[in-house]
Amino acid sequence: MSEAGLAPPAIQALQDLTILVGAPLVSGVIAHVEGRIQGRRGPRILQPYYDLAKLFRKETIVPEDSSWVFLVGPIVAFGCYLIVPLLIPVLTTYGLPLGYMGDILGGGFVLALAGFAVSITSAESGAPYAQLGASRAMTFGALIEPTILFVVFAVAIITATDLPYALAATVRSSASEIVRPAHILAAIAFFLVVLADTGRIPVETHSGTLEFGMIDEGRVLEHSGAPYALLKWGSAMKQLILYTILIDVFVAPWGLAGDRQPGAVVLAIPALIGKACLLGCVFAVIDNSFSKLRLFKITEFLAAAFLLAALAVLVYYLGGG
Amino acid sequence: MAHPAPSTFTGAADVIAVLVLLSEFAMLRAPLLRSQVRLYAFQSLVVTVLAIVVAATRHIDELYVLAAVSFVLKVVVVPRIVLRLLSRAEVSLAGSSAYGVATMTLIAIAVSIFGFFSIGALHLHSTALPSTALAISVAVVLVSFVLIILRSDVVSQAVGFFSLENGVSVASLVVASGLPLIVDVAFLFDLLVAVVVFGVLMRVHQGRTNTLSTDPLDQLKG
Repeated sequence: MSEAGLAPPAIQALQDLTILVGAPLVSGVIAHVEGRIQGRRGPRILQPYYDLAKLFRKETIVPEDSSWVFLVGPIVAFGCYLIVPLLIPVLTTYGLPLGYMGDILGGGFVLALAGFAVSITSAESGAPYAQLGASRAMTFGALIEPTILFVVFAVAIITATDLPYALAATVRSSASEIVRPAHILAAIAFFLVVLADTGRIPVETHSGTLEFGMIDEGRVLEHSGAPYALLKWGSAMKQLILYTILIDVFVAPWGLAGDRQPGAVVLAIPALIGKACLLGCVFAVIDNSFSKLRLFKITEFLAAAFLLAALAVLVYYLGGG
Repeated sequence: MAHPAPSTFTGAADVIAVLVLLSEFAMLRAPLLRSQVRLYAFQSLVVTVLAIVVAATRHIDELYVLAAVSFVLKVVVVPRIVLRLLSRAEVSLAGSSAYGVATMTLIAIAVSIFGFFSIGALHLHSTALPSTALAISVAVVLVSFVLIILRSDVVSQAVGFFSLENGVSVASLVVASGLPLIVDVAFLFDLLVAVVVFGVLMRVHQGRTNTLSTDPLDQLKG
C-alpha cells in the first residue's frame, strides 16, 4: 500500500456516499430493464431520484392514535442502512478503520435492526394491511435466518474468520477457491437469500398493488411524505447493500481499489455500480421468467436455500471440499 | 481448521457430485411424477459426465464405454420406458407425500448429515476422486431411501430405486473406478431387470386399485 492517497476516513465516507447516491440509480436501471423485457419503454433511469425529491416535498400525514414511533422508525432504519456499508467491502480490498467494527454477523444484526424498525413503524400505523405486511416480514425473516447463519458458517470455516474482507481475498486468491463446492453452494444460497430479502418474484411481486401477496411492500402502505421517502430510499439502499455483499464478497470481488490512490478508489465506484446493475438485470430476468409462489409455498423456497447452505457447510466440514 | 483449497479438478468433481445430490433432493420435492422421471434422466446425465471426467483425467479408457452404456440406458431408455408407462396410466399424475415439502427436505438433510458423518469416520481415500464425492454418494443413497419411504406412490418408489443405483454408481467411481468393465455393465443390466419388475408392479397395482398411490395397500382386502 503506498503512503500517498486518500485518508481512510475519506474513503469510508465515500463508501457510504456510493451506496446512498447509487442505490436509487440501480433501482432505476432495474425498473427500466424490466420495462424493456416486458415490451414497455420503461421508466426513466433517474425516475427514483425524481420520486424521492417529490416525496420529500409532500406533507406528512400521521394516522390518529399512532405515537412517535411511527415517525422515528424510518429514520432508525435509514441510519442502519448507512452503518452497514462501513462494515463490508464496497470500494476497497483492504479493511478500513471502522471495517473491523463488526463482522458479517454484526452487519446482519444491523440489517435485522433496520427490518425491525420498519416493522414496528408499520405496526404502529394501526392499518390492517401494514400490520399484515409487518407480521409476514417478521415470520419469513425468521425462516431466512437459518440460511444466513449457515452461509456465515460456510464463510467462517473457509476463511477461518468471519470478516467479509477475508472471504473476498480468498476468492480472489485462486481459481480453485471459486470452483470448490462449499463456495459455490454458499454463493447460490446467498443469492436466494438476496432474492427473498429484496422482495423479488418467487417470493413477492415488488411493484404490485395487490395487498394479499405483499410482504415488504405492504409495510409502508400507511406512510407518506418524507418518512415514506426515507423508507423507499432505505429499501433501495438495502437492495444495493445486499447486491454489494453478493458481488464483492462471493461472486466477483474484482475491480476494487487495492490501494489508497484517488484514481483507483474513484474508479471502483462505477465498477461497483456497473456490476450491481448487471446483477440487477439478472434479477429482472428472473422476475419476468417465473411466477410468484403462493404465500404458503415460500417455505419450500426457503427450505431449498437452507438445503444449499447446509450442504455447503457439510461438504466443507466433512470432506474438505 | 481451514482446509487448503482443493485442486481445480477436485473442486469440479465435487461440484458434479453435489449436483447428483441436489437432483436427488429435487426429486424428493417434485410434485409431478413426470418431472420426477425427467430429473432422474438429468441425474443420470450428470453421473455420465462425472464418469467421462474421471476417464479423461485419470486415463481409464474403460470408463468411456461405461459412460456410453450408462448414457444410453439411464438417460434415454429407462426414462422413456417409465414415461410411456405413465402416459398409459392416465390416472392422477401428481405424486402424494406424507409430509410437507419443507419437512421432507429437513428430514432428508438430517439423514444426509448422518451419511456424511459415517463416511467421515471411515477415513477412506481414493486415487480417482476426492473422498467428498464418496460421502455425497452415500448421502444420495440415503436420500433416495427417504424418497422411497416418504412418497406414497409407485412411480416415486421406482424412481427412488433407480436413483439409488445412480448413487451407487458414483460410489463405485470413487472407490473402484478401475473395476472390471464387465462388472459395471452387469450392474447396469440389473437396472434393466429392475425396470421390468417395477413396470409389471406399476401395471398390476394400477389394474387392481385404479391408482398409482400406495395408500390403498394398507386396507388388507382387495
